[in-house]
Amino acid sequence: MLKSLNFNDLRQKAVRAIDNRVRIITAGLGLDELRAVMRGDPPTEKPNPRYRVHTTSFLFHIRPRYYEKGSTIFTHTFRLGFFTSFFFFVELITGLILMIYYTPSPEAAYQSILELESNVFFGKLLRDMHRLGAEAMVIFTALHMLRTYLTGSYKKERSFTWFTGVILLGITLGLSFSGYLLPWDQLAYWAVTIGTSMAEAAPLLGQQLNLLLRGAPDIGAGGLLRFYLAHVVLLPLGAILVISIHYYKVSREHGISLPARFEEGNVPPEVKKNAKSRVDFIPDLLTHEVFLTTLGLLALLVAIISFGYSAPLEHHANPQQTPLDTKAPWYFWWLQGMLKLGDKTLMGIILPTIIVLLLIAVPYLDRNPHRSLFKRPIAVSLGLLSVMTLVVLSYMGLPVYGIETPAATRIIQDIAPEEGQGPLYEIPFDQLQPGVYTVSETPPDELCPTIDFGCPKLTEVFLEFNNRVIEAATNPNLSEEQRLPNPEAVMVIEDWQQDLRKVTLRIAWDDPRTNQRTSYEKLVFMHRDHIRE
Amino acid sequence: MSRTNLEILLGIVMVLVAGGLLIAYGLNENRRMAEYEKSQRAQAIEVGAKLYDTNCKGCHGVQGEGVPGLCPPLNDKYFFTQRLKEVGWSGTQEDYIIATVASGRLVSTRPELYPGGASPAMPSWSERYGGPLRDDQIRDLAAFIMNWEATAPLREVTPTLAGPPVGTDIFQTLPEGNPASGEALATSNGCVGCHVLTNTGPAWAASGGEPGIGERAATRFQQEDYTGQATTPEQYLLESIVNPSAYLVPGFQAVMPANYGATLTAQDAADLIAYMLTIK
Repeated sequence: MLKSLNFNDLRQKAVRAIDNRVRIITAGLGLDELRAVMRGDPPTEKPNPRYRVHTTSFLFHIRPRYYEKGSTIFTHTFRLGFFTSFFFFVELITGLILMIYYTPSPEAAYQSILELESNVFFGKLLRDMHRLGAEAMVIFTALHMLRTYLTGSYKKERSFTWFTGVILLGITLGLSFSGYLLPWDQLAYWAVTIGTSMAEAAPLLGQQLNLLLRGAPDIGAGGLLRFYLAHVVLLPLGAILVISIHYYKVSREHGISLPARFEEGNVPPEVKKNAKSRVDFIPDLLTHEVFLTTLGLLALLVAIISFGYSAPLEHHANPQQTPLDTKAPWYFWWLQGMLKLGDKTLMGIILPTIIVLLLIAVPYLDRNPHRSLFKRPIAVSLGLLSVMTLVVLSYMGLPVYGIETPAATRIIQDIAPEEGQGPLYEIPFDQLQPGVYTVSETPPDELCPTIDFGCPKLTEVFLEFNNRVIEAATNPNLSEEQRLPNPEAVMVIEDWQQDLRKVTLRIAWDDPRTNQRTSYEKLVFMHRDHIRE
Repeated sequence: MSRTNLEILLGIVMVLVAGGLLIAYGLNENRRMAEYEKSQRAQAIEVGAKLYDTNCKGCHGVQGEGVPGLCPPLNDKYFFTQRLKEVGWSGTQEDYIIATVASGRLVSTRPELYPGGASPAMPSWSERYGGPLRDDQIRDLAAFIMNWEATAPLREVTPTLAGPPVGTDIFQTLPEGNPASGEALATSNGCVGCHVLTNTGPAWAASGGEPGIGERAATRFQQEDYTGQATTPEQYLLESIVNPSAYLVPGFQAVMPANYGATLTAQDAADLIAYMLTIK
């Protein structure tokens, strides 16, 4: 019996058994084939087993079998679509984990973010990734759309893909905006209050629409829950559905468009043929995707860990206190800019609707059959003009444009803003030397001459305060609102409690409009342990 | 090297770098979380300080020193060491503060020392009970008050008088008053809580066309609606201090404690009056 046990036989049996298992796991690729894939060798069997995977595996059946070589040139797509979906998955995964720690109620939401940052291992990193990923997703969506427009890839059979893309742009903005409210801080509360108040301007249904979004006349528990559910259920489900359609169209139906020069340019036939040759998914595209994924993850981590990106978190939402400069998220600045130009209904609802309809209609309005940049002068110049308009409108949406704040308020708020960074907050705690520092035409060069190490940063901030008040008092070219005649301005620092100091900034002046002595004052408490970033 | 191989190589390098970054970040996590916890506490104290400044200082003093005969001091060793035992509170000091601020006090627990504003002795501050503050604000306020614990001085609950109390006789002859020590007394006795910092009582300083208290005292007792017995400005002021209900300035309620005759010496009263007469 022992003699009949042939070692080679046994080995072959074992290899075959393992090979079988591997084929089951890899949906058709044997051991030899896997080895060839890794080494970049040609397929070992016929028919090509690397294609079989795409019919037997669920995850691979929506992936392309190959792309045409010309369409994979980096400078044609810049991988913008890939990175858009990469960030979508980053959001999906970090978001699922963040949901564990988050409570969607006005009483608990803010506290749960604080606890996430101070009590959850990697909690802050997750939040930073989620926030940065969201910003990146909006940027890449917009760039992807611009690229598609400039390479004329929306034409003919790809019109419907363009349409799903416009919807995805809307869903991306919706996801980003709905997530904005969830931390329930001042930033969130007021940005969303402004955003939803625009719905009110919609003709006929405005009131109802606003109520539907906010859940009550003002944003409260109902509104937060609605935004939360939209953010974690409705919009992601919509996104997954439409992304699937969008991607299916690209990967299985039409492929990525070839650069226009291969289709309509004057190139030799062999170049054209080479451009149309296949780049297989396994192994080339797959390796490339894994490579891009690691690149994206590394970039996210470097931005957060090495460059210190930090997701903003302002004070707890306070419906009683409207911030001085309310700002929409940056991707809606253009809309804020438009609102400054005209009526809320026209600029906030009707025009944006027309813009969206125009975007959807682009493939049908543009009858030019060519795709090359140089053969579509009108389309290209209209596109660039739109981008420039968007940039200008966004600038106009900033608080610096068109809103004049009284000088005293502006000066004090610039030095000690309600939220975020400001010169005052950069002063190290030990330099906040208690004292009364009075603004004058001849300010001292050094505020604390009795201290060995001095207080350079405090001196610098005080001088800024001093010079701005003196400028407003003496410059005759300023408007009435910007002038501070006869100013008495002071910066008082007091020791208030253990490790707590109170800074008072006060300006009194003769208001030329009312001919009365007017004053503006702001109290700031600063604690030694407060980390400002 | 083919492009695929290059990408595999670079990919592995990037995964290693990313892993290294994550490990470095993770090693620092415990320290970072501790720092954030301290920073969040610091921010709560900052927010609480501002809330205290707008809502509480009128009764409990700008620096938590309280108003004798009205509201208890909070910046007080006794408050942090003995108060919980006195009321039989089983939770933490911070919980006690949160509960008291949120629901207020219907009746004072020490009416002879601190009868409080009126009725209720302390209003409820939580918006759950009709007050203006949210839960998170009350927590921040408590964090600010707790920050006094380490440095709170021991304040005497019943101040010992340096001499015999002044009593309630307004016609007595008072010693020579010193305005400077009168000003200090106005703060240490908490007069400024109602008469300077808030308008619970008539403002001492000149305001809204009315002159300061010094000038008003000179004319008030000659007015027709005057119901007291004073015949000089000094007597009028003494009467207002030791027997505040003798005459009520229209528009104000009788909330001023009536026991200053027992807690001030004749010299104190003279100093206070001298100081008030300087406020024109």
